[in-house]
Amino acid sequence: MRGLMRGYIRVADAVNYRLGRIVMYGIFVLMGVLLWSSISKTFFLPSLWTLEMAQFIMVGYYILGGPYSLQLGSNVRMDLLYGEWSLRRKAWVDLFTVLLLIFYLGVLLYGAISSTAYSLGYWKDAPVSYLFGVLTGTEEVGRLEQSSSAWRPYMWPIKVVMIVGFFLMIVQCLSEFCKDVLRLKGEVI
Amino acid sequence: QNKITWRLQTYAGAALAEHVLDPAIKMFNQIAGDRMQIETYYADQIVPTGELFQAMQRGTIDAVQSDDDSMASPTEVTVFGGYFPFGSRYSLDVPVLFNQYGLNEIWAEEYAKVGVKHISAGAWDPCHFATKDPINSLEDMKGKRIFTFPTAGRFLSQFGVVPVNLPWEDIEVAVQTGELDGIAWSGITEDYTVGWADVTNYFLTNNISGAWIGHFFANMERWNELPEDLKMLFEVCCQQSHYYRQHWYWGGEARLRVHGEKLKLTTIPDAEWATVESAAREFWEEIAAESDVKRRVVDIFKQYNTDMEKAGRPYRYT
Amino acid sequence: MSYELIATLMFSTMMLMLLTGQRVFGAIGFVAVVAALLLWGDRGGFDIGFSAAMKLMKWYPLLTLPMFIFMGYVLSESRIADDLYKMFHVWMGGLRGGLAIGTIGLMVLISAMNGLSVAGMAIGATIALPELLKRGYDKRMVTGVIQAGSSLGILVPPSVVLVLYAMIARQPVGQLWLAGVVPGLLMAAMFIAYIALRCRLNPALGPVLDPAERDLPRAEKLRLLRAGILPLVIFAVMMVPFINGWTSLVESSAIGAIAAFLAAVMKGRMTREVFENSVRNTLGITCMFMWIILAALAFGAVFDGLGAVKAIESLFTEKLGLSPWMILILMQLSFIVMGTFLDDTAMLVIVAPLYVPLVGALGFDLIWYGILYTITTQIAYMTPPFGYNLFLMRAMAPPEITLRDIYASITPFVLVMIAALTMVMVFPGIATWLPTYVYGN
Ligand code: NA
Ligand code: NA
Repeated sequence: MRGLMRGYIRVADAVNYRLGRIVMYGIFVLMGVLLWSSISKTFFLPSLWTLEMAQFIMVGYYILGGPYSLQLGSNVRMDLLYGEWSLRRKAWVDLFTVLLLIFYLGVLLYGAISSTAYSLGYWKDAPVSYLFGVLTGTEEVGRLEQSSSAWRPYMWPIKVVMIVGFFLMIVQCLSEFCKDVLRLKGEVI
Repeated sequence: QNKITWRLQTYAGAALAEHVLDPAIKMFNQIAGDRMQIETYYADQIVPTGELFQAMQRGTIDAVQSDDDSMASPTEVTVFGGYFPFGSRYSLDVPVLFNQYGLNEIWAEEYAKVGVKHISAGAWDPCHFATKDPINSLEDMKGKRIFTFPTAGRFLSQFGVVPVNLPWEDIEVAVQTGELDGIAWSGITEDYTVGWADVTNYFLTNNISGAWIGHFFANMERWNELPEDLKMLFEVCCQQSHYYRQHWYWGGEARLRVHGEKLKLTTIPDAEWATVESAAREFWEEIAAESDVKRRVVDIFKQYNTDMEKAGRPYRYT
Repeated sequence: MSYELIATLMFSTMMLMLLTGQRVFGAIGFVAVVAALLLWGDRGGFDIGFSAAMKLMKWYPLLTLPMFIFMGYVLSESRIADDLYKMFHVWMGGLRGGLAIGTIGLMVLISAMNGLSVAGMAIGATIALPELLKRGYDKRMVTGVIQAGSSLGILVPPSVVLVLYAMIARQPVGQLWLAGVVPGLLMAAMFIAYIALRCRLNPALGPVLDPAERDLPRAEKLRLLRAGILPLVIFAVMMVPFINGWTSLVESSAIGAIAAFLAAVMKGRMTREVFENSVRNTLGITCMFMWIILAALAFGAVFDGLGAVKAIESLFTEKLGLSPWMILILMQLSFIVMGTFLDDTAMLVIVAPLYVPLVGALGFDLIWYGILYTITTQIAYMTPPFGYNLFLMRAMAPPEITLRDIYASITPFVLVMIAALTMVMVFPGIATWLPTYVYGN
């Protein structure tokens, strides 16, 4: 069991680490898009796509970067009590509260899945099985949702990015859960 | 017996909804009393406008006030909602098109397909530009970043307008932060009512459409659950809201053009503006070619406008 | 169950969750989605969390957030501020408490180059603090100086807090930023006056610098002043096109970030390590903010769905029957109280939307209120037990500074800030004069 947990932690952390290391350079992509926006406005016609594109990049940046930020410990905690606790007590409390965090992320993930299904033209109430159906080829893609801007990009790609991001957040939280279990069993992590 | 509660979200912000929505809902709530109450929410309040349709389909929101275009409804008729370029001359055109020329039936059918009850269509104001810098010619429109409806934006982009889509409530600030150069979303009444007249300086008297087409919708299941008399009451209140807007805008547009002090009026000469009108006819054909339903609707618009021209004054003066 | 009871339950559950030490966004998000599910069930209970993500995507001014964070990290990591510190060190060292006064000056300049207090804190704690301690300055006073000084980051433009406030109050960012200038400088002047007074009464708190350290040749001293040019250039490159309407808000923030980056490259300070730290920490801090706002937006939507705005309005105006000024003062007090145990960003996203409509309805100017709000946030940042600045100070301060020192150090500065808050309340012109002057008509 412990071996399994260690293996899971290694894989989950590695995947999220790699992804986060790539996504963090998104700041320069964002800068580039915004710079192009001001250049094109000053010297040519303003671009149709820059603001919306920048918004998509930002979503990718903070949602896909989320798991890596958990690894970095960037997310503040209220440490009035927590800060004074021993490692062991922290692990015990986190063990439970991280499940609540996972619940929140699960609801986000479900929301992202049903919104993605909608963006692929599915309007009934079994989005999860529909998306599986699309992947396995048993379900048809219907009317694709487009953003209501003049640029009219399809919405499904950014929503898929959000699915991936929320899923990987859960993966990372489970890894944190496993780490707490191992800590309680006396391992040093 | 349990009280029924509905959540209704409008695409309009609070300042505008005070006129175009609140009175009708207040009336409904007062009459329905303990049997049913409708809670109103404004632009982006519970769900962002882009998600509004989906939220109604799923029942997060029970009813919606919006045009088809800005809430991006997944139907064949979406492009005709909001402002279909040069589709109508006066706000009375809209109820006639829906009640006498058969648009009601098409809308009801298209929305039923996606699980939504189309309650009724109504007209709002004409669509004018309100901008920071004056527009005196088509050349002045080039490069302006304008908040407008998706379909209107698609049409206007051939004249160098850069359409920008942002949450309704953020428009005033976006003009001030430089994200926008102006707005082509409403008539002058709305510009004054919601504060856009405070951040822009000029109002172009040429309009790209004489009246906005918008509707009340409800989630189909919720609608079917209502007893007949409450359905009727809701329909009546929606009609009241449509009627109120007819005179509120009609009078307001004229009064503010003449007596308003915040916006200077500019005009593009008729001869030059005619190129925009003829571009609109081509745009209609482009749209009609997209599907059978769209062809049917465009034909109705054409038929209606031909009839009005033949009828002459006061329907048409040209 | 009554709406008031539900609202109270939501707030107290959130507080309880926060006390467990779980990540702030998790605590808030969990309460939000559970409340949504209990209240709305399958009629939208599942959607509120995700709707917030779509709403957040459309909040375009938040694109400035990573830009300002990146700017701040480039400035602090590349130690561009070293030269600035040296400038103040030499020029101000001759006064009693001069190094502390110079540190406030340093903080003002850093505030003009970034939108958060993080950079000021980092620079203050790593560059100024060790130097001040070495020169025998009182450790409690200088710890307070750095915390108070760095909090100017959100009042002197550019300011991320004011951008967030602008989103919520629907007020123009440009005017809000300009409104922060005079109060920011006023507050800095009041800090300086306080330091000068304390050191005059008790010279041991801030000894005069050894002449050997500051008696440079005149030409050398003048050359040091050049360090002060850089912040002004970065500030101007970002603000001038923005105020003139040549670039939009988000474009300006990108230009500011690029300017800071290029400045570091040209000064030869953009090493591999600096680059790595800036890029990585920008992701971390941006994620922290965005995830908190994401969760807080969901919480706010549920709250809004309960009709909380109307409830607050009726509580203040009808049930308590208070005058507009009493309401305003109570609001500021409640922010300070909440700020002692609630994360500042979450507070802004959850509570400000409830208050702002009422403030507007009472006839107060929302630009002016934005400045009151920001000063209150600065106070909340610094007051224990929960405060982002405290959190950073604990992480960055040298070991001889204990938690007790940090807590004790802030008292006089918080009093100065309350005095400044009162002045801006009594004389609204302090905030509104500059934006009216610049934007005029
Ligand atoms: Na600043
Ligand atoms: Na605090």
